[in-house]
Amino acid sequence: MDKSAASRAAAPADVRLRSTSGFIARFTRDFAINKYLYAMMLPVIAYYAVFHYAPIYGALIAFKDYSPMKGILHSEWIGLANFRDFFTSYYFWRILKNTLLISFYTLLFGFPAPILLALILNEVRGRFFKNFAQMVSYMPYFISLVVICGMIVSFTNNGGVVNNLLTHFGYDGQAMLQKPGLFRPIYVLSEIWQKIGWESIIYIAALTAIDQEQYEAARLDGASRLKQMRYITLPGIMPTITIMFILRIGNLLNVGFEKIILLYNSVTYETADVIASFVYRKGLIEFGWSYSAAVGLFNSVVNLALLIGANRMARKLSENSLW
Amino acid sequence: MKRKSSAKMLTAALFVSLVTAACSSNSSGPAETGNNTPAGGADGGSAAESTAYPLKTDKTLTYWAEIAGNLTGVKSELSDVPFFQDWQKMTGVPLKFTTVPATKGNENLTVMLASGELPDMIEYNWQNGFPGGPEKAIKDGYILKLNDLIDKYAPNLKKYLQEHPDVDKMIKTDNGSYYVFPFIRGDDYLKVYQGPIIRKDWLDELGLPIPETIDDWYTTLKAFKEKKGANAAIAFVGLPRPLNDFYNGAFVGAFGVTKDFYLDNGQVKFGPMEPGYKNFLETFHKWYAEGLIDKNIATADQKELDANFANGATGATVGNAGGGIGRWQPIVQAADPKAKLIGVPYPVLKKGDIAPFGQKDSAYSYGGSVAISAQSKNAELAARMLDYGYSEEGSLFFNFGTEGVSYKMDNGYPRYTDLIMKNPDNLAPAQAMSMYIRGNYNGPFIQDKRYIEQYLALPTQRDAVKTWQKTDEDKHQLPPVTPTPEESTEFAKIMNDVNTLVDEMTLKIILGVEPVSSFDSYVAKMKSLKIDRALEIQTAALERYNNR
Repeated sequence: MDKSAASRAAAPADVRLRSTSGFIARFTRDFAINKYLYAMMLPVIAYYAVFHYAPIYGALIAFKDYSPMKGILHSEWIGLANFRDFFTSYYFWRILKNTLLISFYTLLFGFPAPILLALILNEVRGRFFKNFAQMVSYMPYFISLVVICGMIVSFTNNGGVVNNLLTHFGYDGQAMLQKPGLFRPIYVLSEIWQKIGWESIIYIAALTAIDQEQYEAARLDGASRLKQMRYITLPGIMPTITIMFILRIGNLLNVGFEKIILLYNSVTYETADVIASFVYRKGLIEFGWSYSAAVGLFNSVVNLALLIGANRMARKLSENSLW
Repeated sequence: MKRKSSAKMLTAALFVSLVTAACSSNSSGPAETGNNTPAGGADGGSAAESTAYPLKTDKTLTYWAEIAGNLTGVKSELSDVPFFQDWQKMTGVPLKFTTVPATKGNENLTVMLASGELPDMIEYNWQNGFPGGPEKAIKDGYILKLNDLIDKYAPNLKKYLQEHPDVDKMIKTDNGSYYVFPFIRGDDYLKVYQGPIIRKDWLDELGLPIPETIDDWYTTLKAFKEKKGANAAIAFVGLPRPLNDFYNGAFVGAFGVTKDFYLDNGQVKFGPMEPGYKNFLETFHKWYAEGLIDKNIATADQKELDANFANGATGATVGNAGGGIGRWQPIVQAADPKAKLIGVPYPVLKKGDIAPFGQKDSAYSYGGSVAISAQSKNAELAARMLDYGYSEEGSLFFNFGTEGVSYKMDNGYPRYTDLIMKNPDNLAPAQAMSMYIRGNYNGPFIQDKRYIEQYLALPTQRDAVKTWQKTDEDKHQLPPVTPTPEESTEFAKIMNDVNTLVDEMTLKIILGVEPVSSFDSYVAKMKSLKIDRALEIQTAALERYNNR
């Protein structure tokens, strides 16, 4: 792992300007200097290797007719049959469309929401109120998803709080989760309600890093609060926003299927059934391990493409990007 | 120095522990097939005339099963349930249980099978809960073909099957393979337990007769809504599938179809693609539009149905004698002392007709049957142990528990004690039964009629069963056919897509999201999903079944 012989040699002796600045040479030099930093990194690398890279080998079953009794290696190869099955499946276009739409709406409305909240909280003067508002807003994040979904179902059912309220304004009183057209709005709004407070924390942290003198200077120049927000605050947290956005794009297709499964039913399949819930039904209920693996793999590939695309775009449009 | 090396040691240790924690060995040897020669067991294999229980063994067997739904909130581990503790004492075989939460069997089985680590015994619905069917489960090396084991080590079951060739035919595959120790309903009276239920006191109060035809029902429900303020005059559980309890043909049956496969003059048909289903949807859409059906039809769960009964919003449903009338009678009575729930006949179109369909189990009821895993090193011992449920002594134990504790002999009639019927811990009889006996839910034994005679404590429950028995279900019931592994896998694929479509169509048309006329385009979609192929598979399997 590390050369204990060289560890006593002081680093500078090792650092000679070599013409061969190959990666290996650079690495050994750097290693000699920062031995302990590398050692501290080890558990992290090990974690990723073991829990995120090793399982990739299991993705092999997407191309096989997996039978647990034969094991991954000995199961028969079937090539791309699973993928073909999926792409020609009757529901393929529907679940792809739903996945993209639900992700897109969640991004469109869910991404700016915490930023707005952070900006609003930033303008609040009263310390007590600010803390209180923050606490209330991130409380739902800590409630178990199953409980949240139970709440959503009973609120929107005939006789539920939300349903009754809307019935006053002329709604027909049916369980709202029985209306295909209402599924996505309910999903997205509840998503925002759940996560807005939690996600605003990072932006609030970024806001505190902005130099206060800039605001003073702006005030002396007579900038209104709106102008200050526009020319100082927003640019100040723009790097954070960009990075968060890219990360978010990378997860675009990972629509949380738990929530979908807890909320959807046969009537709303047409607007609610997504790749992940489809995989769940196929894999867990039909024992289609290989098929599910194939669909999951497809999902990951699309995610990767989107992430790279978003990163490219971010690099072109601003100076912030992941790499 | 010292500090440095300990830091290194620490990181190294961390690394090693991380790696070892995550690596799980995946045994990938080729599965044994056919008759493996079981190692161990009681004694070296001389065919036992009748086994004397308790068996003597120093082995512990592993047992995988779902816990009874009745025990939700009472017990969460099978090893804590008195019945399962006593079962080990009675058979002399120590068991190590893997408990699966109620109704989560399917998902858990998937994960368990995928892990490749199988217990000795797996209690599950092997007849139609495994895509590919029992033959495929044997072929893929999950479970054993039991013919030899039953022949040699299960004299009680063997005897029963010899005496009941009709049951024997049901629990085999086309190739004649036995695959489980089955749950058998030992009497016709046990096979019917479900049907339409209604508030008799409301009928009397409004001067209405017991509804027989679909038109009677319409009048009745309208009266419930208008005069009793029942805003969900008829309600059903909508999970996991909408109109869950309609498979057996309640209401749908009046239109000559069911929500599933059935026989029509010896031909296999699939209800939701028949014209009758369209008429059913039309009727239900009309009822829904007029506010006679629960507005939460797609999302209602058991709790909501209970609440609807409790506050008088609902006066009719489809449910069981035990878990339905027995459950709701006290609930409605608490709110209204006069309240009385009764079972009423399956609706028909013309007065005086006999309903063509109704709930009726076959003698072999699929759930809760136990297979022995192909990996088991103690197959012989497992077979001997499972055979206990089919012996005279074992049958008493499964149906009534332990004498002096859960039942007393009363002139040769096993009568449940207060521990069951008036439980000191305030458990409902159904819950107490699931604690101390197994008579009230599927398992590896023969169910005794004397259980239901006592379980249906209310005369209304017993009358309900009698009422529901009056159908022509026998003519229309598809026997437990077993398609070949290839067919079965194909069938599961087709039906999964088709059922998704059927559920969608059913609800959309009833709720009025789509017009009744869209039915025809749905049938066209079913055809494009190869429903005809599914019918072909079922027909071929039926032919083979009839030729057994």
